[in-house]
Amino acid sequence: MTQISHNDDPERAIKVHVTQGESHVTADPQVVMTTVLGSCIAACIRDPHAGVGGMNHFLLPEGDGRGGGDAVRYGAYAMELLINDLLKKGARRERLEAKIFGGAKLFDGLSDVGASNSAFAERFLRDEGIPIVSSSTGGVSARRVEFWPTSGRVRQRLVAVDNAPQDVRRPTPPPMPAASSGDVDLF
Amino acid sequence: MPQASSISVLVVDDQLTMRALIRNALQQIGFKDIREAPDGEEALKNLLAKPANLVISDFNMPKMDGLALLRAVRSHPPIRQTAFVMLTGRADRELVQRAVQFGVNNYCVKPFTVQGLREKIEQVFGQLT
Repeated sequence: MTQISHNDDPERAIKVHVTQGESHVTADPQVVMTTVLGSCIAACIRDPHAGVGGMNHFLLPEGDGRGGGDAVRYGAYAMELLINDLLKKGARRERLEAKIFGGAKLFDGLSDVGASNSAFAERFLRDEGIPIVSSSTGGVSARRVEFWPTSGRVRQRLVAVDNAPQDVRRPTPPPMPAASSGDVDLF
Repeated sequence: MPQASSISVLVVDDQLTMRALIRNALQQIGFKDIREAPDGEEALKNLLAKPANLVISDFNMPKMDGLALLRAVRSHPPIRQTAFVMLTGRADRELVQRAVQFGVNNYCVKPFTVQGLREKIEQVFGQLT
């Protein structure tokens, strides 16, 4: 007989939906993080030893995730927020491992935003020395992803484009900050 | 007007990617003398061995965070006058206020643009050429 752990029990699981621009970190084994991805990327990062994990969900504001442009600075910040929150909850950088999802090409067009997003995530994690233990990126379908942050388990379902939520089919890239990027007026 | 190329900079961030991005932005502005450190502890050793004109530091770092580095810099007479720009997240209003108390010269909210970073540095040094 298969033993059902608490967080597999739909009655007891605490579902946290992570939408574009958000990240969430927890050490609570009851928590299941969920998201729906089109061309966006979700990085699921955890420290297996500390039992803490988290997920972010981001879309680079421009198509090209290479080089040192604004898009990369935005993506690096999205990853930094997740990693910093993990470290604050007791994770150790050298023990982190990642799974990445998303980056689909949902529509025919000249640019493949999804590919740029997944290439950025892969390069960032490689440069930071965080191993990617599994991934599912690219393709032409949206993805529903569930992530159990303390065990690292992930369940993914592919969703036909027509059945994906509107904000997944046409995600709005986040605006880049204005040139003067301060929001605390002290100087 | 000061020349960016004559100002030495120490970039402090625990993420290699972020250090590379800041270095890239500084080079676009015209800075040439750019060093890096992965945390506050290394940065302080680096500064005491070889002072810099400007420190651009992240806040969240292992060993010694950006605020502790700022306090350490201000308490060491040989490097006390170093200009210090703190990189913060959007929700770090309290951090900025504490940094001001400890003598930060300016702050820059991530994710920043090259022009945004330039403006923050120019508010400290004057218009750069």
